Amino acid sequence: MVFNSLTFIAFFAIVLAIHSLPLAWKVRKVNLLVASYLFYSAWNPPFVILLWISTVVDWYAAQGLVKAQRPAARRAWMLLSVVANLGMLGYFKYGGFLLANFTALLASVGVAYHAPAPDIVLPVGISFYTFATMSYTLDVYLRRALPARNFLDYALFVTFFPHLVAGPIMRPTELVPQFEQPRRANRQQLFFGLALMTIGMFNKVVLADGFLAHAAEVVYDTDKIPGALDAWMGTLAFSGQIFCDFAGYSTIAIGVAMCLGFAMPDNFRFPYAAIGFSDFWRRWHITLSSWLRDYLYIPLGGNRHGPRRTYAALMGTMLLGGLWHGASWTFVAWGGLHGIYLSVERWLRKRFAGFRPNVWVLLAFGLITYALVNVTWVFFRAKTFSRAWTVLRGMFGTNDKAVPLLSGESLVVVAAIITGLVITHWLMRNRTLETVLARAPAAVLSCTWAVMAFAIIATQGSGNAFIYFQF
Amino acid sequence: MPSSTSSFESARPDLVIERSTSAEARIALRPGLRLTAADRPGIAQPVPERDIPDRRWGAIMLAALIMTLLMLGAWEWHWRAFGVEPSIANSDALWATQRRRIDHGEGDGATVLIGSSRMLFDLQLPVWQQLSGTRPIQLALEGTSPMFALEDLADDPNFRNGRLLVGVAPDIFFSGFAYRGGVLKYTRKQSPSQRVGQWLSMHFVEPFLAFDDPDYALPTVLERQDWWPVRPGMHPRKDVRKLMVVVDEDRASHIWDKLEKDPAYAALAQSIWAQHFEPGPGMPSPAELRKTIDEQIARAAVAVAKLRKRNVELIFVRTPSAGGYLAFEDKVFPRAKTWDMLLAKTGAPGVHFQDHPELQGFWLPEWSHLAARDAVRFTAALYRIIEHDVEQRGASRVAKTPER
Repeated sequence: MVFNSLTFIAFFAIVLAIHSLPLAWKVRKVNLLVASYLFYSAWNPPFVILLWISTVVDWYAAQGLVKAQRPAARRAWMLLSVVANLGMLGYFKYGGFLLANFTALLASVGVAYHAPAPDIVLPVGISFYTFATMSYTLDVYLRRALPARNFLDYALFVTFFPHLVAGPIMRPTELVPQFEQPRRANRQQLFFGLALMTIGMFNKVVLADGFLAHAAEVVYDTDKIPGALDAWMGTLAFSGQIFCDFAGYSTIAIGVAMCLGFAMPDNFRFPYAAIGFSDFWRRWHITLSSWLRDYLYIPLGGNRHGPRRTYAALMGTMLLGGLWHGASWTFVAWGGLHGIYLSVERWLRKRFAGFRPNVWVLLAFGLITYALVNVTWVFFRAKTFSRAWTVLRGMFGTNDKAVPLLSGESLVVVAAIITGLVITHWLMRNRTLETVLARAPAAVLSCTWAVMAFAIIATQGSGNAFIYFQF
Repeated sequence: MPSSTSSFESARPDLVIERSTSAEARIALRPGLRLTAADRPGIAQPVPERDIPDRRWGAIMLAALIMTLLMLGAWEWHWRAFGVEPSIANSDALWATQRRRIDHGEGDGATVLIGSSRMLFDLQLPVWQQLSGTRPIQLALEGTSPMFALEDLADDPNFRNGRLLVGVAPDIFFSGFAYRGGVLKYTRKQSPSQRVGQWLSMHFVEPFLAFDDPDYALPTVLERQDWWPVRPGMHPRKDVRKLMVVVDEDRASHIWDKLEKDPAYAALAQSIWAQHFEPGPGMPSPAELRKTIDEQIARAAVAVAKLRKRNVELIFVRTPSAGGYLAFEDKVFPRAKTWDMLLAKTGAPGVHFQDHPELQGFWLPEWSHLAARDAVRFTAALYRIIEHDVEQRGASRVAKTPER
């Protein structure tokens, strides 16, 4: 079920009530586990089996790793986990994509091969929970962590519903220890958790779905040719939509967990105020970028084997990171562009190591970063390369026969929201939400909370799935 | 105060890869900022810490709650003053509940209604039930050609030995326009969560809140204001406004009484229809339209043949229209080239309102849909015409099927 639905409100109220009962901690954990399976099966019940497979395989792989003495045996247990998880991910997420590319490859050498349509349904959140379970085995393999003491804590780590389908991608060392001691939110945690949930819902329901999604659809989901204004505004709208959608989800997830007495990590840190792309990736989808860094970039060599190897590792990581988002070459292009940006930035930093920019130059770098990030969003949002090129040509003002696409109302609304969003990110660049809330007058907090809650209800929403569910 | 403190210790606390990068990141962080996984490369991530601002959150939330309720009360009052009453949402999920009735055994011998908004508003389920003893399954969808439903039912063996009334609004039926064409896909993929949500909404939200209607969603309300600049080169068209009210869980509906009571609102609705009466950019050429009409008729013929094999009695119904709308339909979709050809090609009987005096003389406040009291009369008259045809079998005014 999605967070922005009546079903979730009813579900969460029941879970919260049961979790507050004076029951044994083990019973309350079992309740949370059952609730998490219900949460997941509310989409498509049979896919719970995949979740169980992923859970059980990594549990036994980690147990095997602890008992194994020989490096070869340890490696075998690790590979079992990686193959099982990536195998499931590969089949369900990339099966159709691989088959289509295989067919195209054969066609390119003159072999006419027509495979039957695989018609594979993508289990929601599979990319997230396979990464979570893999991090469990890999941390044990890399001797960074010990395995969980009991299966219940481990299963709850994998399945805990706030992070299950769209992150933040939790590491076992972040969550398993929290299940070892009884937890129940105090009043402050409960109320502040509800405040975070309201902020997240406002981002998702009002800003992303209510006011920004339509402009992006008008520009991207059409055959009409956009000019510079439409191409930029449609892309800016998408940049705001995807941030408000995904950061909104993460904020709700953090709030939900807090209401139950648990802590989850930040997933976003005002990324549109990033200065440079390494800064951007320290602020955008932090739990994914750090996962890729720890389990892909560093094992590929990181920056320990000279510049060439570093650049290769960087590009490989970003290309695979792009592919993680979706089974399409457009996502690979998106990741590749970020890889190029990061590589160029790395080279520039070395080349101009002594350069100390003033505040205005930093601001200019920040705006350039945001503009170039928007160029990458074109490949992320467009369903085909053809459409991506059309929009890109529009952004660079080289489209002939462009027609106006966005209404005056859309232009004004998108401009207002995106300007407000970017200014907010810059104002919050070196702050946390909590430090601001700690100083704001109570009346302002109440009024803001009320306006957000009213806007969420008045916008109505249609229970649209979060964008990252498809990944 | 932190809501959680780190209690985890790495199995190898000495393992810190890329120490320099981490150190740079830490230096960049100002006091008050939280470290994240981005600042801790290559190590086991500790239990997160979350600060909770030291405020009186209970009091802040209570004040927010009161203000939210006041604002919602004002919003509700505003829309009720406009004439809106709480009603069941005409959602895809509600349609899905009715479509599933056929899957779950009610399809054998059922009377099913498909079509667009005219079939939805004009045919009154209680009247039909009173006269026939059975309540039809209402599957008509506003702004949507019934072709998808016709083909779906034709392929569904659960629907047999029954009667299918197919509403024909010429501009929608023969153009294949489908405003809500995704409803069948939604129905097939509807998750348990969505079903529960629909039930909760229908029982705990929709009966109480007038503003819970897509027409009065905040973005829609803002978009429809007059203050927005009109962009050069664009010719914005107004969206169709709220026209109907669903009065029962089985999608029994009728026209919204504001259209009968408020001449300005009815005139607005007419002006919105009139936007489509004159040729404009993006509209098909006569040759393209002819091709589309022929395609729709051919698809209907295939579906009718399938239904006939399962002993389903299919009747096309041309529901009334008036004024500028009727003139537009007569001009662009003339009867001889659409309706008559449909009956000829499918071999199915049809009821055209212009052939029956008892189906004429009604009030259509916005040219396209019957006033509520006239919808009652229309339903009774239509029922009698169809039943008369059943008794006469082939000799009635209903059957327009040409000799073969």
